[in-house]
Amino acid sequence: MSNILTIIFRLTLSCLIAGTVMGTTFVFTNKAKKANEHAREEKVVYSLLGYSAENPIPESMGLYEVFRYVITDAGQSSIGYLVPAGAGDHSEGFTFVRIDLEGKYMDSNPVTISHEKVREQKDRDVAIAAAIGGGKDIRFADHTIIVTDSGSRLAYLLSGKFPGFKTSIHIMMALDPTYSVLGLEIMEHEEDPGLGAEIEQDYFKNQFKHKPFETIKSIEVAKAPLPPEYFDAMEGKVDEEAAIEVMKQYRDQDIYALTGATISSAAVSNGVRSMTKKFAYRLDILDRVIKEQQLQVPF
Amino acid sequence: MANEYSSFQLLANGILKENPIFKLALSMCPAVGISTTVSNGVMLGIAVLFVQVFSSVTISALKNFIHPRIRIPTYTLTIATWVTVIDLSLAAFFPGAYAKMGIFVKIIVAFAIITMRLEMFACKEDVSDSFWDGLGMGLGFMVGMVVIGFVRELLGSGAVFGYDVLGFKPLLFFILPSAGFFVVGLMMAFFNWIEAVYAARKREVKQ
Amino acid sequence: MRVIQSFILLITAACVLLSTGAAFGAGPVSSTAFGDENEIILKFSTPVDPQAAAAPEVYTVFEEADPDIRLAITGVEVASDGTQATLVFADSLNTTQKHIVTTSGIGGVASASFSVAKSYLGYLISILISALLINNFVFTKYLGLCVFFGTAKRKETAKGMGVVFTIVIVVACSMSWVLYQFVMKPFDLNYLQIVIFIGLTSLTVQAVDTILRKVNPVLFKSFGVYLVLVIANCIIIAVPLLMASNEYNYFETFMLSLGAGGGFLLALYLMSSVSERLELANIPPSFKGLPIAFIVAGQFAMAFLGFSGLQLF
Repeated sequence: MSNILTIIFRLTLSCLIAGTVMGTTFVFTNKAKKANEHAREEKVVYSLLGYSAENPIPESMGLYEVFRYVITDAGQSSIGYLVPAGAGDHSEGFTFVRIDLEGKYMDSNPVTISHEKVREQKDRDVAIAAAIGGGKDIRFADHTIIVTDSGSRLAYLLSGKFPGFKTSIHIMMALDPTYSVLGLEIMEHEEDPGLGAEIEQDYFKNQFKHKPFETIKSIEVAKAPLPPEYFDAMEGKVDEEAAIEVMKQYRDQDIYALTGATISSAAVSNGVRSMTKKFAYRLDILDRVIKEQQLQVPF
Repeated sequence: MANEYSSFQLLANGILKENPIFKLALSMCPAVGISTTVSNGVMLGIAVLFVQVFSSVTISALKNFIHPRIRIPTYTLTIATWVTVIDLSLAAFFPGAYAKMGIFVKIIVAFAIITMRLEMFACKEDVSDSFWDGLGMGLGFMVGMVVIGFVRELLGSGAVFGYDVLGFKPLLFFILPSAGFFVVGLMMAFFNWIEAVYAARKREVKQ
Repeated sequence: MRVIQSFILLITAACVLLSTGAAFGAGPVSSTAFGDENEIILKFSTPVDPQAAAAPEVYTVFEEADPDIRLAITGVEVASDGTQATLVFADSLNTTQKHIVTTSGIGGVASASFSVAKSYLGYLISILISALLINNFVFTKYLGLCVFFGTAKRKETAKGMGVVFTIVIVVACSMSWVLYQFVMKPFDLNYLQIVIFIGLTSLTVQAVDTILRKVNPVLFKSFGVYLVLVIANCIIIAVPLLMASNEYNYFETFMLSLGAGGGFLLALYLMSSVSERLELANIPPSFKGLPIAFIVAGQFAMAFLGFSGLQLF
């Protein structure tokens, strides 16, 4: 009997100690993890826009985050956008704009949440639920960053994920105001090393660079060997002006598939195509609604 | 304390005589799965080293407190705790390297080598010996991973630590996933061969 | 062979149990399916007016995740008897997504919505096949190798190990799923995944050990030795982790764990068949034992690469 009690006591104590150790680690690392993730995302954003630590982003530029939600209320779906409120530099608070499935404006509500907390999905969901009233099912869909320079739009930054060959591929890309691709970055993937993992190489992802919206709309992969001059241009092996010249020639062509990894290559180009098309469609509607309703937004 | 060991002996034992990868053939999964680059090997080696050392020291320090009947569950709990700690820390501070290792950090918890060392060594010996033994085993694992990673990265992508040294890619085959089995098998055979040659030479000298 | 037969039987039984089929409520459409890559086929419960059903405007189709993006319909082909319509789309459809078709004014119903998805049963079987062959845990994910090389020497051992492992992994995964869905997720305890999953596995092994010892001592004598080895197999922890990161439901978890266990059994059986023959072969002395086993496993791994891209459903 006392044996059992000793065992129980010692096992409980061991579990308590283990729990304390893990809990403490979690609390400490979670903060650092979030900060690091944010820093990494910011770095990718800057590099997609052509800025770096040595060449910092100018003061006149503004980055505004737009969060898209799908709202279901009594069987009826609608799309909600959480956009920053206020015009010009002094943007304050957020507005939640609801648009029905036909693209017609439904309503807009002010949302009270700070700029730091808006990145936390939980805090954001709670704030939106409070603003539009309870009883509705709200589901976060995606988020976009709109970049402006002294009031005019410079670029859009999209992040998204889609199934690759093994697991999902997570990408981030920058579009210019005409929806041409400014750059593409592979954030996460688990493709095979040596084959599908080559999608993160410059010679693959830079193929998307500067492709106009018209090309992206119907982009496919071509199973043809990559021309060596194109490879050199994308890998930065020739000087910048020559590279731009070479890349111009291939601007309207399909994506050259990676050798031995056609499925991964096709997954990325299909993903980019559908993300771009959907984004262009949605932004046109959002812009129209903002203009019609004369909502105050900083972008 | 039945035996007296010097710390150097314990270290050398783990790295050479009882190398977890090439001699004991335990914890082979990462040796095949993610040994495509040297840096992967180093990172996972550090994770295993950390778990092995901390678990050995913990068990050794608490050996009088652990009830013999619940020995194994306590080992599992200890290992799982330290794996969680290293997993969370790597995810927070080295997100890039962590993403490359995928699930392999988490499955350290099921590595036979760690439980084996706890059962065979740490639960009998004192803290400092256990520390050196854990360090030796962890380093042995790391050395194995680095050696395999070096061969695969050099032959597969012509680079070491991500730096291009050869300027061309000799055999892409070596970094393809399934080549891990071939590389490990060939290296084991190579070490066996060296041993056989060495032993034969020793015999000749004696005669 | 008994083992494999009973394994196939088990799968068939599971499939039959799950084949409830897609249930449709009252409405003009009785069944839906994906046709060619840009087609959706609707079957009507009662014949409809072919002329009315041929107008693309009466249909709205979108993917469930993106309700605001209407897919462009270029044409509708209605069968002459009015029982079937084929919607043709401008772009090829993403058939992995559930699609929602809304009809207005067809069959006298003002507005009715139907979902189009690949059959759920097919999806479940594809999870099983994927874990069994395409993403075989031993040959394409390189997990569980220590136990694999340790026990793949005799066919008898291989079968015993494989069966015990499959049973334990299915039970352990089911428990992990319950705990993950109802405790870890609601209370934000995801960082405890490793501890909880390995703990549940140890618990299952202990329970199977005790029960088998009491209920069937003969079976315990032949299978008991493998129970200890189960816990040292990395697959046992990898499967619950995969289940948690993919947010599988219970049936999917069951199929995944069954596939993982079955894949391990398959790998062991194949490897042990080769090992038994290798003993008779004349192998260079340095390659004897583990080195040649690794090379053989490498060849199996390359052969299993051939399954990639396999799609049955």
